[in-house]
Amino acid sequence: MLKELLKAVRDGDYVSKSALAEQFARPVPFIEAGLAELVRMDYLQESENLQLCDLPCGKCPYTGFCSQTPFKTITVTEKGERLLRTLSYKETRP
Amino acid sequence: MYTIALVGNPNSGKTTLFNALTGSNQHVGNWPGVTVERKEGKFRFKDQFYKVVDLPGTYSLGAFSEDEIIARDFILKGDPDLVINVVDATNIERNLYLTTQLLEMGVKVIVALNMMDEAEQRKISFDLANLSVKLGAPIVPVVASRRKGIEQLLETAVSSIEKQLDYKVFISYGRELDGKIARIEKVLAQKEVGYPSHWLAIKLLEGDEYVLDLVSESDLSPRELELLSFSRQNGAYELELVDKRYEFINQITGSTVFRPQKPVQIKTDKIDKIVTHKYLGLPIFGLIMLGMFQLTFVLGEDLLGDSVADAIGIFGEYAEALLLNLNAPAWLGSFVANGVIGGVGAVVEFVPLIVILYMLMGVLEDSGYMARAAYVMDNVMRSLGLQGKTFIPMIVGFGCNVPGIMATRTLESKKDRMIAILINPFMSCGAKLPIYLVFIAAFFPNNGGLVLFLVYSLGILIALLMGKIFGETLFPGEVSHFIMELPPYRKPTLRNVVRNMWDNVSGFLTRAGTTIFAVVSSLWVLAVLPGGVQPYGPESFLGRIGLLIAPIFRPAGFGNWQAAVGLFSGIAAKEAVVATLGMVYAGVEEGAELVAAIKAAFTPLTAASFMIMTLLYTPCAATIATIRKETRSNVWALFTALYTFLIGWVMAVLVYQVGSFLGFA
Repeated sequence: MLKELLKAVRDGDYVSKSALAEQFARPVPFIEAGLAELVRMDYLQESENLQLCDLPCGKCPYTGFCSQTPFKTITVTEKGERLLRTLSYKETRP
Repeated sequence: MYTIALVGNPNSGKTTLFNALTGSNQHVGNWPGVTVERKEGKFRFKDQFYKVVDLPGTYSLGAFSEDEIIARDFILKGDPDLVINVVDATNIERNLYLTTQLLEMGVKVIVALNMMDEAEQRKISFDLANLSVKLGAPIVPVVASRRKGIEQLLETAVSSIEKQLDYKVFISYGRELDGKIARIEKVLAQKEVGYPSHWLAIKLLEGDEYVLDLVSESDLSPRELELLSFSRQNGAYELELVDKRYEFINQITGSTVFRPQKPVQIKTDKIDKIVTHKYLGLPIFGLIMLGMFQLTFVLGEDLLGDSVADAIGIFGEYAEALLLNLNAPAWLGSFVANGVIGGVGAVVEFVPLIVILYMLMGVLEDSGYMARAAYVMDNVMRSLGLQGKTFIPMIVGFGCNVPGIMATRTLESKKDRMIAILINPFMSCGAKLPIYLVFIAAFFPNNGGLVLFLVYSLGILIALLMGKIFGETLFPGEVSHFIMELPPYRKPTLRNVVRNMWDNVSGFLTRAGTTIFAVVSSLWVLAVLPGGVQPYGPESFLGRIGLLIAPIFRPAGFGNWQAAVGLFSGIAAKEAVVATLGMVYAGVEEGAELVAAIKAAFTPLTAASFMIMTLLYTPCAATIATIRKETRSNVWALFTALYTFLIGWVMAVLVYQVGSFLGFA
């Protein structure tokens, strides 16, 4: 399922865990676990803007604003792309 | 004394259970050679003492992190008599991944299914007897935070230790991999590697570097090493193995863990189909923003430039009178009343409206809609050949351009980053809000929401346009790709909304009390000097500076010196524009209200032109300094200062000239 999940993430317009759960007929926590595992194994990279808190703007009065921006983006890493290329090669091989 | 190891995912309640077991009978140190904390404790149960070791929280027992290596080393080398695996009942699927790895190690495991109260609240139920059989390990439900189930857990732990039961789970990884595992296992079984051979074989196929090194050090013949060589294919089977473990978990939880169908998720997907629609998404985003601005003015109509402005005016008069009664010099009274209170107060009087706007923005953020807005904009930006992720620093820029520009660090490609930095100043920061509000109060009180919406939209439009131009001229190249996660919608909580508002408003007030105060104080000195001339008049130093700059803005329709010094002060800090206007107009005519003074000095058309200039022209000094720091280039900082001024001026002139031509003058 993880390979399919990786492919679905790469090919999807966006990541909606509930939509993926429906697509894979699995409960949402399962999809969450799968995505977390793909991140842990470096097939996906998550970037949360919450990390902006780490920026050296502690004295800035607007620090509060930037720390709250609720976006999470996902990128398929080079390792993930490599795997997907291999998979698509296997699929197209006669 | 028996040793029990506590293992679990981060936030599974492992440490709570450790504290519940050991009480104050524990000590903290470090694991050898690393800075990871090691917690050990003792407890007594049925006249027997037990040592408990709280291992670092980990999701897996691979070699991806120091925590994982410490945990697995202790389990394999520390020789614990029992491993208690603390599992979060609300997230059992993910937690059982670690359990399967523990069981594959061949160690004795019992599962403490923690947070059962939370699972119950979420209406998650379990067939524990069946799950225990399928998993191959005893499961004890507990609520560690309330010490519920601890007695039963200890009973199970003691009986498990004493019975010397053989716990093992067999996960089939498919015929091909099972065959490989068996072959490696056979080779390793004859060697003294010091770890269970089945586990080692799996780890070798996962490409676990640590295990690979360990095995290579043992005495293997060339043929045996050749057999293991396929393990070195960069973890080619890693994903396959993890996948099969999850399949196993899915199989065993499918008939033993029962979750309610979440209607909220179904609703979320249905709403998303509309709000992220290819064609409808953008208009919906526009309508929501327009609605938010309109609502701000509907709710804050009575507050706009009235009660708070009156209160500030009265306070200014009172402060000046008080200083005169105390025989303070006249200049001090003028400084406090016209400089500080007239200037800073002009900004502060719009705080109630800003509070409402940020509360509404907080509602949008907390509901999960803003992620959809970013997704919709991502599509727009991609169609323009821009990196959609650029929109995230742009949204941050709506608060303040400084963190907005710093947020571009999350962009991996230099092209994307440079474009994001150069266009960020067009995002209308919170400091510009009072400028629009004062002009809306003067000229467009009935269409405030629409005007504000148009101003913000124009900023985004110009940013996108410039991004496209930069992308095709200064920074050509491929656009990198990213995917955005859309969280489920949720009901905004008052706490989050108020906190969001407070973070912004407190920042605004802090700036009013520091930066604006400093700028206004400096400008006040320029406004009353040299001696012998009319303070706040065109003959003052400030007036002369204004008169020098003012001709530049004549084609834009606001070529008066007050507007010119207002814009000039905005380069120090954007809040200073209104503060400066407040000071120069309050100083000229005692007690004059800023809104009334603006009404006399501008027309609706010149007001629109002035607002567009402030939206787009040179960013504040802090932003320019940040651009310099982030690009490590004086040239880019200077370029941004100049090109934004040019864009602002051209747009302002265009609006005024076209408006005049159409008869709006």
